Amino acid sequence: MVDPIGAGLIALSAAIAVSATGIAAALGEQVIGSAAIGVMAEDEGFFGRGLVMTVIPESIVIFGLVVALILLFVTLPSI
Amino acid sequence: MFEPQPMTKVIIAGSKDYMNIAIGAMHKHDVVHIADFVDEDEDFKIGKPQASITRLSERAVSLRSIASYLSIKGKEDIPSKYPDDTIIDTIDVKTEQLDVEVTQVTDRISEIESKIKDIKDKKRLLEPLKSFDLPLDLYTGYQSLAVFVGTSKGVPIISDITNDYELETTPYGRGHAISLFVPREFEDDVLKRLQEQGYATLSLPKLEGVPKDILVDLDVQLTELQSEKQKSEADLSDLRQKHIEYILASDEYLSIETQKAEAPLRFATTKNTFIVEGWVPTKDLELVQRDMEDVTNGHVIVDADSSEVADVEKIPVALKNPLPSRPLEVLIRAFSIPKYNEIDPTKLMTFMYPALFGLMLGDIGYGAIVIALGLLVSRRVKSEGMRNLAMIGVYAGMFSIIFGFVFNEFFGVEAFGHAGLLPFIVYPAVPRLENVLNLLIATFIIGILMLTLGYILGFVNEYKQHGLKHAVFAKVSWLCMLWGGALVIALILPSLSSGTGIQLTLGLVVGLAVAVVGFIFLIMGEGMIGLTELPTLLSNVLSYSRLLSIGVSSTGIALAVNKLSYALFFSKGGVFVIFGVLLLIAGHGINTALGILDSGLQALRLHYVEFFTKFYRGGGVKYKPFGFERKYTEEK
Repeated sequence: MVDPIGAGLIALSAAIAVSATGIAAALGEQVIGSAAIGVMAEDEGFFGRGLVMTVIPESIVIFGLVVALILLFVTLPSI
Repeated sequence: MFEPQPMTKVIIAGSKDYMNIAIGAMHKHDVVHIADFVDEDEDFKIGKPQASITRLSERAVSLRSIASYLSIKGKEDIPSKYPDDTIIDTIDVKTEQLDVEVTQVTDRISEIESKIKDIKDKKRLLEPLKSFDLPLDLYTGYQSLAVFVGTSKGVPIISDITNDYELETTPYGRGHAISLFVPREFEDDVLKRLQEQGYATLSLPKLEGVPKDILVDLDVQLTELQSEKQKSEADLSDLRQKHIEYILASDEYLSIETQKAEAPLRFATTKNTFIVEGWVPTKDLELVQRDMEDVTNGHVIVDADSSEVADVEKIPVALKNPLPSRPLEVLIRAFSIPKYNEIDPTKLMTFMYPALFGLMLGDIGYGAIVIALGLLVSRRVKSEGMRNLAMIGVYAGMFSIIFGFVFNEFFGVEAFGHAGLLPFIVYPAVPRLENVLNLLIATFIIGILMLTLGYILGFVNEYKQHGLKHAVFAKVSWLCMLWGGALVIALILPSLSSGTGIQLTLGLVVGLAVAVVGFIFLIMGEGMIGLTELPTLLSNVLSYSRLLSIGVSSTGIALAVNKLSYALFFSKGGVFVIFGVLLLIAGHGINTALGILDSGLQALRLHYVEFFTKFYRGGGVKYKPFGFERKYTEEK
């Protein structure tokens, strides 16, 4: 029998993992994105590289997503 | 196999008398990458452009102004190419004649436009007075009367100033139009009163008659002018139709001639000779040599220069890839062109990029949409960059479908198997949501393999550029730490998660030993500063977990769209089915767009950030042959 409070706490942890890292990634992308737009005003050819640099902080939220996935699909079924 | 086009350094030298012929020959072949001459000294000077350059640029300026009047953008297609000898003979006369014809029409149009503006101004002024029956000339020319004609927000009350006045008002717009006649001695007081009501004077045009009649008359004139303008514009587009081919062709001709005339600016010259340093693809060398010999009777020689060891940094790089790989060159160029002695990763990316994309967007339905979109764009769009991206999309869509079968997903629904859309086809699929842990481990293995490939390529690059010792220190060190570390983690993780003690097995010892050897190599190669790079190894491998998490998110959204549309609409039946279908289309449309953008960017990032940094520096010089890709003209 699954402990409902424990299950709830795990689900909540998963939510925190995704949302907190999402905010962190957004903060990072905000800075890089505006800098990239600034460079693009000088040199249009920077678009490709700028786009890639802008998604670099996305790793943070992806790690958060992985933690959430493990919590929901590995830890939760095992308790 | 991964090298760019082989290049040979050439010196082209000869008598100045034959310079123009030599330029013509080089230009025709479009293969010589000229290295600009910059170091002037007492003996060698930078060449002077040909005298024709002034005339050519004048022609180009007037031709381009004609083209802009006729809104010719220079990207249009024409049915057949123009032979350039017909342009040479006629360009002067014909450009002048065209200039006159076009200017006539455009002058007429701007004259009409100014007339139209004039009439519109008058109309704007008279419009408020439409319902007043007083002829216009009676509003002016009084000695004892002050006249106010204009608009105001409210109607002024002036009976306390004087009773001797004549006021007419009519609602106009948000306020009123007023005409007011008062004896001149009250002018100032009345004006103040009017200003309180937001009065604005209308400066009436000098016309005769009642405003209403004048307006009708103006409308007639306006219609006439507008039809005249249309006629002139039709004339202009006739001119465009008639001359577009000629204009495009002669613009191209002028560009080519200007390029040739400016070429000596890149040469080294002495009093009687000229010397060009450059690079030619080795396969074209013989052709250029033979042709130059023929056209100049041997007065200009093309000499393959192998005397000095060439500076690799300066050799121009032309990527050499089979046709199916060529669209991927866009992604390499967006990063950086490889150096001449560096591995060109385009061929590897041809498989790896779509495969990573497919792993993330692994869905039969979405894959089919991506392929369809890719084919559509590559058919319809002219821009080469977009077409290349579209072709990459087609490859990526194919891998999406392949992995869609593996994950058994069709728009988030199970496609095959007992609970699927087609229950009679059963095979061992790997649904993503049920295999999160296994797939997570699989992504780490993919990461380790890709990084290994990166380090091996890096080893080859370093070996070619700096020798064996450097290559071992720089790349084998990381390889050892990667595999040793991976082995150690794989062995101790089960006991860590179950809480039992760690047993010292043979595998663990081997793993630790390999990692330590790698570590020692690193310290020997890079010094203590190498330590700072250590954590990147772990984060690089972990970074590949995005292959799973982005895929699962996309599956999750698809699932949510399906469940929502069922719960909200399909379960109710009737008209609601239509809404359900709309929700499905919108939801899956957004998810496809997100999937393409995110999977595309993240797959690219896994290449640029994780994979390329292990072996690829780039920064090569792009091969730009002296010549012109003719689109509108052909050489006779």
